[in-house]
Amino acid sequence: MDVTLILLALFSTVGLVFTYLAVVEKDLVKAVIFSAIQSTAYVAVLYLLRAPDIVLVYLPVAVGLYPAAILFLIGKTEKVEEK
Amino acid sequence: MRKYIVLLSIVLTTSVLAYITTYLEAIGLVGLDTRYLAKLFLTLAYNPLARELTVLSPEAVTSIVWDFRGIDTFYETVVFYMAIIAALAIYRGVGYPSIRSEKGLSIIVKVVTKLLIPINIAIAVSVAAHGHLTPGGGFQAGAALAVISVLLAVVFSASSFARVGVSLSKAIALRTVGLLAIAAVVFVPVVFNALTGVQAYLMQNYVKVDSEFAFPTHIQSQLISGTLIWFNLAEFLAVSFGFFVVFMLLSLREDVVREQLGEEHGH
Repeated sequence: MDVTLILLALFSTVGLVFTYLAVVEKDLVKAVIFSAIQSTAYVAVLYLLRAPDIVLVYLPVAVGLYPAAILFLIGKTEKVEEK
Repeated sequence: MRKYIVLLSIVLTTSVLAYITTYLEAIGLVGLDTRYLAKLFLTLAYNPLARELTVLSPEAVTSIVWDFRGIDTFYETVVFYMAIIAALAIYRGVGYPSIRSEKGLSIIVKVVTKLLIPINIAIAVSVAAHGHLTPGGGFQAGAALAVISVLLAVVFSASSFARVGVSLSKAIALRTVGLLAIAAVVFVPVVFNALTGVQAYLMQNYVKVDSEFAFPTHIQSQLISGTLIWFNLAEFLAVSFGFFVVFMLLSLREDVVREQLGEEHGH
């Protein structure tokens, strides 16, 4: 079997697991970190799908800027999501 | 119970998608072959033989982004510019404090960040300047440089912007210069047409069937692909300093912002 397909399956699964964790996590800071890990997995997926242009824009935005923006916002509101 | 339903639905969706894409060969149906449109772009991106259709850039994505579909990208840049105007409007009247005694993170993090920042700048500039040759371009480079604004705000505290010589008004001015430079490159053919009478079109890059107007494609035998390098560099300025503005404003402490905005905006 093609190594690319195996790696694609692996990184997609990692992305899926961390998406689930980000959704159910009540501590918003942890949720942002899970979301960033999911983005890192997707960076690998996009690279394997041969989209280096998207990788270059996705990496700083989804791993650097977006979590930072959300963390700043959490800093201005509440850290834990209430029921 | 709810947890199990969520898990079950995830497993089910994944299995169905895996089944469709492997055994049902949906990828095969969609086609792994290069499609006609993609073939067209790939053949024309760098093709000196198709003189009136080519962009003269080996990077097909940048060719599409700034030439074949250039007006799309121009308006995307305008949308980004407007979005940051909205952010500035919310924070109107908030002065950026020049000196404040905030400590930031530990010395270890600071030293590592100090080492990383020059590397980050070098990568960003090279991604922008090579945007017409290798994957990347203005937006990618801008986003990479914007990470520095986050590092400065988080690791060295918000007051560090003033120390490295970045102020809010400077960042706003630089991003405006970026957008104006894009507009200038767009209008060069039109001005050329008005001055010389030679047929030329808005946002034209290289020669067309009825127009011999072309931007210089080489500087000292280095390929610059006409307008692409200028668009990439201008977009780099517009995007990076656009993000700088946003993160400078976001990194301000909430009590400082409320104090300056007054009570009527404070809740």
